[in-house]
Amino acid sequence: MDEARRGGREAFAELVRRHERRVYGVCFRMAGDHAEADDLAQEVFLTAWRAIGSFRRNSSFYTWIYRIAVNTSLTHLKKKRREKARAAFDENAAVPVPVPGAPSSPEGSSALNELKGRVDEAVGSLPAHFRASFALVAGEGLSHRDAARVLGCSENCVAWRMHKARKLLRARLRPFLEEVGS
Amino acid sequence: MRCRAAQRRLSDELDGTLDPGRRSRLEAHLRVCPACRAYRGGLARLQAEVRPEAGRSAEYWAGFEKRLEARLDGEEAGRRAVERPFAGRRRVAWAVAGLALAAVAAAWFGLLRPRPILIADWPQDEYGLAPLLLEAEADPELGRAVEGEIRASIREIAPAADADAAALAAADPLFWEGLSEEELGAIAAGLERDNGLGGPK
Repeated sequence: MDEARRGGREAFAELVRRHERRVYGVCFRMAGDHAEADDLAQEVFLTAWRAIGSFRRNSSFYTWIYRIAVNTSLTHLKKKRREKARAAFDENAAVPVPVPGAPSSPEGSSALNELKGRVDEAVGSLPAHFRASFALVAGEGLSHRDAARVLGCSENCVAWRMHKARKLLRARLRPFLEEVGS
Repeated sequence: MRCRAAQRRLSDELDGTLDPGRRSRLEAHLRVCPACRAYRGGLARLQAEVRPEAGRSAEYWAGFEKRLEARLDGEEAGRRAVERPFAGRRRVAWAVAGLALAAVAAAWFGLLRPRPILIADWPQDEYGLAPLLLEAEADPELGRAVEGEIRASIREIAPAADADAAALAAADPLFWEGLSEEELGAIAAGLERDNGLGGPK
């Protein structure tokens, strides 16, 4: 870590290898699309590289990198929302019609079952801050305390968001979850 | 415990943050509430579908790291160039920008800015104008006479500068150096003729 802070590329590469999957996971949960998650994850590590000199040791690196991932993703979502709103006003804009349940992975759909696709889609429909909490806690297994540190809110806030997120997801996926469960 | 509270506790239970006291009350509620048991089953299935790694291959991660490396190389190259602005092409760009800025500043403060004609700034010449000019600096009346003569002479020599010949002379420090002996002689003769001053020695 210290070596990376001094600008050591090899040390930073090791940090990337350790955290890339988790960062990608958060970005994917936030963006709901593999191509976007790829771009976002790259951007997260570039941001981390630029700012690593300012990283303070009183917080853990993964908390720090998750915070960058969430903030980068939230910024991306805002931008996307604005573009979508603009496109809605453009009568000539071709709006792609989403195929319900269709996985967006470039690595082929065979690996992803239908329930997975539906869950990803439902997570993508959550309000952004619920989605961020869900991505960190349910997706990455962070404790409420760590997620609160990443998100800059209280543990109670994270617990409440998780409850609401699960309630919304369960309501949306209920028939399907019961089908699978039966 | 009501169902609403139980559902909140079920979420905490999944996240491992439920304390033993609340857990026992939740278990008691679940024993008598089939709806909340179904809710717990639904949440558990949902949790099972949330995959932590989003299923990417080893090849993907190798490519991801390679692309990131390339972008970091670009970042580092950019950073080096910023840290050493006088390196390579940037050196030329900075030099050009600096010269342009200096030229603008010099033009404004030293050349283009309107300023009174300072006789001492004028070059000396072989026809003996220098003593006259120095004398004119000390004598305001003589100074005005010399200035008027020189303005008139400049208009004759450089008719294009009719709007403000003195300003033209001030804007071009080589103006006087560019005058021929004949022209300088004409100026001196004019001073001699009109004011009884100067003239070739």
